[in-house]
Order: sequence, then C-alpha cells, then structure tokens
Amino acid sequence: MSSSPFASLLEIAAGLVIVCAVVTLWRRSLSAIVKTLAVQGVALGAVALILGLHQHDGVLVGVACLIIAAKGAVIPTLLARVLARDPRSRESTPLVNVPASLVGAGALTVLAYSATRPVVALVATTAGQLIPLGLATMLIGFFSMIVRRKAISQIVGLLLVDNGIALVAFLATAGVPLLVELGASLDVLLVVVVLRVLAAQLWSRFGVFDLDQLRELRD
Amino acid sequence: MNSVESVCVAGLVAIVQIGAVLVGGPLLLGVMRKVRSRLEGRRGAPIHQPLLDLRKLITKQRLRPFEASWVFGFGPVILVATVAAVAAISPLATTRPPLGQSSDFFAIIFVLLLGSVFLALGALDTGTPFGGMGSSRAMTVGALAEPALLVAILAMSIPAHTSNLPALVRIGLAHPVVIASPARLLALGSFLVVILAESGRLPVDNPSTHLELTMIHEAMVLEYAGPDLGLTMLGESMRLVLLLGLLVNLLVPWGVADRPGALAFVIGLVALVGKVLLAGVAIAVFEVFSAKLRLFRLPELLAGGFILAVLGAVTAVVSR
Amino acid sequence: MLAIALLVFPAGAGLVAAATPWRRWVGWLCTASLVTVLVLAVVLSTQVVRTGPIGAFGSVLRVDALSAFMAIVIGAVGALATCQSVRYLDNEIRIGRCSVRHASLYAVLVQGFISAMLLAVLAGNVGVMWVAIEATTIITTFLVGHRQTRGSLEASWKYVIICSVGIAVAFLGTVLVYLAEQHVGHGHATLTWTSLLTVSHHLNPGVMRIAFALLVLGYGTKVGLAPMHSWLPDAHGQAPAPVSALMSGVLLSVAFYALLRFKSIADGALGVAFPRGLLLAAGLLTLIVATSLLIKQRDYKRMLAYSSMEHMGLLALGAAAGTPLAIAAVLLHILGHGLAKGVLFLTSGELLHVEGTSDIDQIRALLVRRPALGGLFAFGLAALLGLPPFSLFVSELNMIRAETRVGLGWVAVFSLVCMAVIFAALLTHGRRMLLGAREAHEPVQATPAIVTVPLVGALIACAALGVLAWPLGALLHAAARVVV
Repeated sequence: MSSSPFASLLEIAAGLVIVCAVVTLWRRSLSAIVKTLAVQGVALGAVALILGLHQHDGVLVGVACLIIAAKGAVIPTLLARVLARDPRSRESTPLVNVPASLVGAGALTVLAYSATRPVVALVATTAGQLIPLGLATMLIGFFSMIVRRKAISQIVGLLLVDNGIALVAFLATAGVPLLVELGASLDVLLVVVVLRVLAAQLWSRFGVFDLDQLRELRD
Repeated sequence: MNSVESVCVAGLVAIVQIGAVLVGGPLLLGVMRKVRSRLEGRRGAPIHQPLLDLRKLITKQRLRPFEASWVFGFGPVILVATVAAVAAISPLATTRPPLGQSSDFFAIIFVLLLGSVFLALGALDTGTPFGGMGSSRAMTVGALAEPALLVAILAMSIPAHTSNLPALVRIGLAHPVVIASPARLLALGSFLVVILAESGRLPVDNPSTHLELTMIHEAMVLEYAGPDLGLTMLGESMRLVLLLGLLVNLLVPWGVADRPGALAFVIGLVALVGKVLLAGVAIAVFEVFSAKLRLFRLPELLAGGFILAVLGAVTAVVSR
Repeated sequence: MLAIALLVFPAGAGLVAAATPWRRWVGWLCTASLVTVLVLAVVLSTQVVRTGPIGAFGSVLRVDALSAFMAIVIGAVGALATCQSVRYLDNEIRIGRCSVRHASLYAVLVQGFISAMLLAVLAGNVGVMWVAIEATTIITTFLVGHRQTRGSLEASWKYVIICSVGIAVAFLGTVLVYLAEQHVGHGHATLTWTSLLTVSHHLNPGVMRIAFALLVLGYGTKVGLAPMHSWLPDAHGQAPAPVSALMSGVLLSVAFYALLRFKSIADGALGVAFPRGLLLAAGLLTLIVATSLLIKQRDYKRMLAYSSMEHMGLLALGAAAGTPLAIAAVLLHILGHGLAKGVLFLTSGELLHVEGTSDIDQIRALLVRRPALGGLFAFGLAALLGLPPFSLFVSELNMIRAETRVGLGWVAVFSLVCMAVIFAALLTHGRRMLLGAREAHEPVQATPAIVTVPLVGALIACAALGVLAWPLGALLHAAARVVV
C-alpha cells in the first residue's frame, strides 16, 4: 500500500478515470454520458498534472492543461451541440443490457490486469502500478463501441479508448515526446470534429442518428 | 488489569453497544421520517414515535396464522439476536470491542444474513402469495447484493492484509491516506449501495408504501402482527444502524476510541451517534429526491454496486 | 534536400489548389507534382542505393532504400490517380453532382493525403510516422464521403471509427515500444528507427510481445487485415475511384510498411517465431475472409476491395517468411499491386460513370461495346490475378518459394488454394462483365485518351517489371536488407 500523498492523489485521479468509464456504461441518458466524459477528461488531465508537478516537468504540466481544456471542455461541448439536435437522446437499446455490460466491464478490468503484468513489472514506479486501469478503460471503450448503437455513443466509446491509452502513456512513460503527444491530442480533436460533421450530415440529410439505420453496405 | 476486571469491562462495552443499537435503531428511523416529512412540508410524527409503536406492538396479544410452523415465530427472534450479537463485537464506539479478534468482516456479514434468511423463510412459511412474492424479491435483491458485498470486503481487506473489522478501522485511524485510496472509496461506495438494498430503502424499496405491486420488504412481513411484528421492525432498524455505523467508521473513523478508558469510550459513543445521525439524515434527504427504481432496473443498480467493488479490488491489487 | 523536396511538391500543389478555385490546370498541376515526386523518388533511390541513408531535420526525416522504394510506389500510383481525378471532377461537375468549391476541396484533400503518406514513409521517427498515418485517416474520411450519398456517409463513418480505434491501438503499441526503449536507455529514448533497430536485442521481451501484438492489430486495421477489416470494402466501394485507387494501391501498403519496420525490431527483441506467428494468423485469416466474400460478390468495386484484402493477406504471409528473398518479393508485390489495382479502380470509376451502376450483373459485353475500357479491365484483371508477364506473377512466385524455404510449405499450399479459388471467382465475375454479344442498336463506344493512355502506360510498366529485373533489382535488394 502506497502511503505518500502523491501516490494517493495519483491513485484517486486514475481511479476516477476508470470509474467514469464504467459510469458511461451505467447511464442511459446521453447528456449524462457526455458530462461523465468531461469529468474523465479532467481526471486524465489531473493525472498528467500530478505527475508533472511531482517530476518538476514543465512540459508535462503544459500538456496537462491542454488536456483539461480539450477533453474537459472543448470536446464535451462539441458533443453536447450534436446532442441538442436529437430529441430522443437516450441509449435505450444497447445490444447487451446494462447489468451484463457492467459485469463485462468487471471482467475486462481483470483481463487488463492480467495482460499488463509484463509492463507493470518493467515500470517500478507508483505510477506504473496503475497502468492496468488505463488498459481497462480502453477495453471498456471498445466494449461500449461494440454494444452501443447511437452515433454519439460510438464517439464516446472512441474517446474512452483514447483516454485509456493516454492514461497508459502518462503512467508508463510520463508522456511520449512532445511532438508525438501534441500530434496525438490534435488528432483526437480532429477526429471528433470529423465525426461531429459526419453525424450532423447524417442527421440533417437522412435523419439518421441510430447506427442500426445504417445498413446499406453489407455483404 | 486482571482478567476478571477485563471480562467485566468487555461485558460492559458489549452491553452498551447493544443498548445503543437497540435504542438507536428505532430513534434513527424516527429521525429519518421526521426529516422526510419536514422536507415534504409536513410536520411529521415525533422522533420517538417508532419507540412508542414498538411498545404498543410488544404489549399486544401474540397472534399467528393458523398454518404457521415454528419457523414463522423464529424469524424475528433470530433477526434481533444476530444483530445484537454482531453489535456486541463490532468496532462501533471502540476499536477494541470484546472478542475483537473474531470480529471478521466476512463472518459478521454472514451472521447478519442469517436473520434475513430466516425472515424470508418465515414469510414463506404461511404459504400466502404475498409472503412468497416478498421473499422471492428480497432473495433476488440479496442474491445480487451479496457478490458486490463480498468483493467490496475483499477490496478493503487486500491493502490492509486482514479482513478483521477492528483492524480495518484502526488502520484507517492510523493512516488516513488509506481511506482516500480509491480501493477503499470504491468499496465503500459499493457497500452503501448494498446497505440501501438490504435494508429496503429507496431507490430499491419504498419503506413507506403498502402498494402490493412494488413492495419487497413490507410484503415479507405482511403476515406478522403484535410482538412478532414489533421484533421484526426492531431488528430491521437495528440492522440499519449497525451497518451505517460500520460504514461511517470505515469511512471517517475519527472519534472512535482507540485506547482503553471510560472517557475515550464515551467520546467514541458520542461520535458514533453523531456520524450515524448525519448518515441517516443524508439518506433521508436522498430519499426525498429519488424515486423507487422499477424492479427490473434493480439489477442495473446492484450490478453497478458490484462493478464498483470489482474496480476497488483491482485497484487494491494494482496499487499494492 | 531531395527528401524535403519530395514533400514540398505535393504539399505546394495542394496549397495552390486551396488558393484558387478549381480549374483543369490546377488538376494538371497536381498531376505534375506527383510526376515530379516519382522522378525525385527514383533519383533519390539510386542515390540511397549508392551512398546509404540520408537524413534531414535531425531525425524527423530519414530516407533509406525502403523509404525511397515506398516513395516510388506513392509517386507512381499518385500520378495515375491525380491524373484521373481531373477526369472524375470534370464528370461530376458536368452532371451537377459537385460544385466548384467541392472540387477544390477534393483536390486539396488528395494532395494532403499524398503528402501525409509521403511523410509517413520518409519519417525517421516512429511517432512522426504514427501522426502521419493518423492524418491520412482524417483526410481520407472526407474523400470517402465526397459523393455525399447515404452509402458514402455510412462508409466514411465506419471508416473513421474503425481506423481511429485501430490507430489508437497502434499508438498504445508505440507507447510500449517507447517504454521498452526508455528502459534500455535508462530514461533516454528517441523512438527513431535507427536507434530502435540498434537496441532491438535488448528490448524487454514481455513488453515487446504486447507492443507488437498491439501494433499488428492497430496498423493491421489500416492494412485491412482481419479481424479489423470491415471498413475496407465499404470505404473502397463508396469512395471516388481515384481515391479508391490511392487507398487500395498505396495507403494499405504504407500501413504495411509500418508493420514491416516494426517486425524487424520485434524480430530482434523476441526472435522470429512470435512475429511470424502473429503475421501468419492475420494473413491466413484475411485470406480466408477475402476468399469467402469474393465468391458471391455482386459489386465490382467491392470485388476489387476484397481482392486488395487478399493481396494484403499474401503480403502478410510473405513478411512472415521474412527472408531477404521474401521481403524483396513483398516489396515488388506492393508496387505491382499498386499499379494493377490502381488501373482497375480507375477503370471501374470510368465504368461507373458511363454505365451508371456498380452492379456486376448489369454490365455485360464490355469488350465489344467499349473495347478500350473492356480491354483495360481485362488486362488489369489479368495483372491482378498474377498472370505472366505481369510483375505480380514474379512476386507471388518468389513469396511462395521463400515460404517453402523457411518451412512454411503448408502456408504456401494454403495460399495457393485460396488464390486458385479467387482466380476462379474473379474470372467468373470478369467473364460476365466482359463477354457477350453486342445488341444491334448498341453503338461501339470509344474511351477518351485521357483515360486510356496513362492506364495503358501503367499496365506496360507492370508487365515490364515482371520481365526485366534491372530497374529495380538493386533497390529491392537494398530495401529488403533494411528490415531483415
């Protein structure tokens, strides 16, 4: 059991990231899910911030601020705007019902733990021990992309995947080189913008918001 | 301190803790009802009303259904007895309760469950449809809540390397950082969900309705009357206080007596009353603003509790 | 200098296209920029073969034989596709499906797409390559959805979702590689190909195993390897033909190039067996999926898309063998497939324009009704199926020889069986489209030279590569040495 305040804060922030991931599976209201995602973005930024302050790494602190701004504010706002167009903004019929998906999330968490053991063994720091939480968040994101049928839910799933990976990146290496880090963050932002544009086009031209309605292309 | 004296002290502690839970149970119920009525704009019954009800019920003539067997009468007694036994050895006012080394979290939970099981058996005993329905629903909730509870205890035990309750509280006192660890927080969140479910509070069950479509717990005790009903009520309220007491001591252990001595014990008792009162009021306020979940949505809530516990356990393992 | 020039030309043409409204000369300018890229890449590759790798901007850009070869592929297919883009946009504007603004957006995006791919193959840094490949996803999304129909929007949605997930997984793999490198260098890591290859024997095997699996899954998504392939037929079927040609002919190979590079690092860290096993599994699964879906295919663009999957599967098997012979064959196959598939997609784009359908059943007697177009399609198909003299025959033969030599005879047999089934399937589909008698009232229609001349040229190049080894032999050898 770690007992320094640094470790404790880090654990709480990382724990919050994965709890938010679970909450997105738990809730049905899409606006609540988007809000949870914003909380997760802030928690992710907090992880980077704590690490940056602890290691006196100014660049990491800067990246943390960027993440909080992008994932805590900009992306949720973009999603909320799309949401405002859709009157029936509930994830009412996921392919797997909520209790089963929650149990599935539990199983994925355990899987993530067992899969990352070589990595955890290599990183001897406090932060390194929390890597499984990042992978678990990513797996939950995958899961949510598969079982959820709303356009917004899939974007949310993608962002969960991305946040999980970012968490692993911070915890494992305290961030990859800045150039790559910025490229990655910018890419996510762009992907969300692209998806938002596509969702808006699908909705305004064809009235499609539910991906089950997209069945034109298949073999 | 010689051994006779220590036995006497231990006995005293046990009696005071049982007494506190015995009186505190109905009183907490009264407080919670009062808070609810005030928030809903009513004046509400006085706080000691449940005690008055209890006295009235206990003095009534014993009346049992014609078909009932001994199990029926056994239920309420077992319920009260198990809660009282657990109350004696739990770290409520002090972290050194009598027989503290046997106060294992898992053991305590299963002793408490014994009461629930007997209550459900008693409800089945008379063969009326309501009793059966209530039992089946209560057992469903219990079956869903149980795994969550077990994993939650596991999550709390892993970092502490023990599932001994007094030790868990002591560790919280000595290292406040442990309480702030996500493992403990998640496990306690899960524990709270389970407490709400097991003691039949909103949003799982509405304690103040007798609408047959929705009720769970009230359906189970529908056949009871007089002293039996009184005991059931008493046992249920005692269990709520006991569980809340454990929860608050695991979450905010400050105030609990960690040294021998009368003064420390009294302070611990006062602190316990204050904390449980706050928790009860919080639950009452929460109940005013929430609606009962439909029965088929219950698994979602309890699965949520379960997943919180699992996450807690995993974080406990990874941050070890 | 040359390496920077390679990036500057297409990007500069893109800027011009962004600054001016769409005119035909803008399109020709873009084509010219790609032809320049091709020429520069050839010059660069002779230089690299003679003097060794060239770097620029510190470690950001680094050109070795493999990069130069990939730049040649991009230049060749890119020149074909941009040239046909002019025709595509002309047609779309004439029938009023596309505004001038939209046309200019298309031109800008295509130039951006090609620049991003060039950056990916020229990057000396793994992270920069990742950013470039991710950029291709974002840019091509709008190209896939350029026709703005329900189907194309659906395809671009699937494309961006699946590929973003894949590329995110690849990022995780990259992070783990970085972690392993950091561990070897005691906190110091650069993520450059050269440094990774130097320390590859000391990288932690446990971490590298997870990392390589994630990289195969992640970049494999962009390559179109099963099980993350489902975007591929939709995107290739719905995108405008020049974009399909670029995606199928080059983009898949660029992602595969990333896998080749990582494989050489994983070979160092883990030994040959684990990377080989993963690539074999992915390749075989992809072959099975492609074969089974090709048999009953009814849409000729999707048919070509599944055939791309087949070839990517073959490449994965060839890379799994991993000998210099196999890698040289893989690279030659990349070029040959790029040319043949480019020709076929561009022909099918013209076909879609003149016939108005992409349904195999509704097209018949092409060879007599439209002899030039039908001929192009027939020869393209022959090239794709690996008939001599086209270069795919040589490369497939060499891949199979290499597989047999390293004890993967069963893989060779399996891929031959799949290829035979696909051969029959494509032949059946092709026969239905090409053969038949012309009805009396149907005129014989010519195809404009803007379509026929470049495509015939590409087919001749593809055949020449199959017959003559001299233009590429030294380069292929040097490129294969980079990753073996």
